[in-house]
Amino acid sequence: MSFLSLVVKNPFRNKTRSALAIVGIAIGIMVIVALGMVTGGLKNSTQSTLKAGAAEITVIQTGSNSFGSGGTINESTAAEIQNLSGVKDTTGILRASNTSSSIATTTSNSSQSSFGTGGGLSITGIDASQLGLLGIDSLNGTSFTNTSTNQVIMGKTVVQDLNKTVGDTIDLYGQNFTVVGTFETGSFLTDAGIIMPLATLQNLTSNQNKVSDILVKVTDNANVTTVSNEINNAYPNQLTTTTAADQANRINQGLSFIDTASWAISLLAIFIGAVGVINTMIMSVYERTREIGVLKAVGWTNRRILGMILGESIVLTLIAFVVGTVVAVVGVELILTLSPSVGGIITPSFSYDIFLRAFLVAFLVGVFGGLYPAYRASRLSPTEALRYE
Amino acid sequence: MNNTGNIIEIKGLKKSYDNGKIKALNGMDLEVKKGEFISIMGPSGSGKSSLLNMIGALDTADEGSIKVAGIDLMKTKKLNKFRSKEIGFVFQMHNLIPNLSVIENVEIPMFETNASSTEMKERAVELLKAVDLEDKIGQKPTKLSGGERQRVAIARALVNHPSIILADEPTGSLDSKTGEVILNLLKDLHNKENVTLVMVTHEPYVGNMAERIVTVLDGKAKI
Repeated sequence: MSFLSLVVKNPFRNKTRSALAIVGIAIGIMVIVALGMVTGGLKNSTQSTLKAGAAEITVIQTGSNSFGSGGTINESTAAEIQNLSGVKDTTGILRASNTSSSIATTTSNSSQSSFGTGGGLSITGIDASQLGLLGIDSLNGTSFTNTSTNQVIMGKTVVQDLNKTVGDTIDLYGQNFTVVGTFETGSFLTDAGIIMPLATLQNLTSNQNKVSDILVKVTDNANVTTVSNEINNAYPNQLTTTTAADQANRINQGLSFIDTASWAISLLAIFIGAVGVINTMIMSVYERTREIGVLKAVGWTNRRILGMILGESIVLTLIAFVVGTVVAVVGVELILTLSPSVGGIITPSFSYDIFLRAFLVAFLVGVFGGLYPAYRASRLSPTEALRYE
Repeated sequence: MNNTGNIIEIKGLKKSYDNGKIKALNGMDLEVKKGEFISIMGPSGSGKSSLLNMIGALDTADEGSIKVAGIDLMKTKKLNKFRSKEIGFVFQMHNLIPNLSVIENVEIPMFETNASSTEMKERAVELLKAVDLEDKIGQKPTKLSGGERQRVAIARALVNHPSIILADEPTGSLDSKTGEVILNLLKDLHNKENVTLVMVTHEPYVGNMAERIVTVLDGKAKI
């Protein structure tokens, strides 16, 4: 028998008590891993909004919300902005929301679903040649033609949520549209939308020659902030600009808040778990006082006894790490599978640092939880320990 | 051990507890030759167990001198090493670890030696054969009878080839028949392994099995 196998064996002398201690720590680890996977996934998605080729600046009417909804700009403004220095390309887009409840399908295997309980389907109208400015650089299928009145392309999230594929049809604004292509940009906002020709959406929403946003791509050597200020100065009190970096920062700020909150929850759970480990180990040391006396009598050093108790504590928390991690991974995958609308938005991150963080937390809880009981055990007087009843 | 052939040399050893109110040892003198089998007898509270604890370095004395296996226990700091190398304990209540198998219990003292897992196993098996428990190697102590448990404890005490076996009432929790078997076993192993045997007992028939009886009274040896 090796010392290690003794350390691994000992925590299971009282299975119920050890199991409860493991559950306590595993809950904390589960929270750390699950929230880490989710927020990590959202962060990755945010980074995708900054991908090369996409527009760096979005121009909206002053006073409208950050995605251009609620205000319109003359389509010709895009051409005017194109003439400003540092601007490489511009295009006007119209964002709308299909609030119609008649999302019908023509294929037998398609399911009907109401996507986005708040505003229905997010629909964007854009010139087919400018899809790159939305970050769409490849399509499964083909793109729509600008003159078509019944063609759309769909983002990955909508595809999953409505169970659509290329060739299926969808009812939007009372008209049947054929899905000619699907795309995935990595941005959960873009991937949650349907895209059609600008003119078609303008007609459907009675917004002829109007756009809600103008996407601006700057030249290679231009400074995004400088160009953004230039646009603001050219259209004071009329237009407002947002850069992709600003958007990403805003989302990241929100994610940082979630991150902080998840840490706070995790720390609380870990604290409760650590108290459980200390309690378990102190009880174990009390119960084994006589045995520790015997170990001292047969020549075990204080350091070996300290190592044994500390090792047992670490074994408990490492088992909790495994249990918590498995439950978190399976739980997150299960929730995302059972809820396609959430699953489409979040692709969980399996970054090693999430698991490393959870492992370190478990290890440190094991060390700190076991330190005091181990110290007590190592300092026991052998004669008193042997007399203990 | 010195050139007198004594493995234990105790002179004027004193030990008190409770701020001097209880004098457990009050000028104890004792010499034990290497390979000797002695019984320490005396009434309850006379200082028998305290003496055994001093010899086994489980406790330290207040005054006097105590040399065991050539080591001055009043001076050495490495008491764990001394216990691991020189002493084997047999307790009244056997004190086996319940979640470990018989063989694992016997191996426990060997963790402080440089023995490999194979060496540990071989030595433990050898001793379990000697105490006639070869067929119980994988069993947990809870499945054994009182006598069998004490035999495991004896094997554990001998595993590191100690110079001295200290047995504190080794038959105290056993019936007389089983007790006799254990005593004969201890005596046999004492002869075979050439180990000094110091046994504390309050039962005269047990004490009489030793080569010499040391009676302890009021913390002093009355030879």
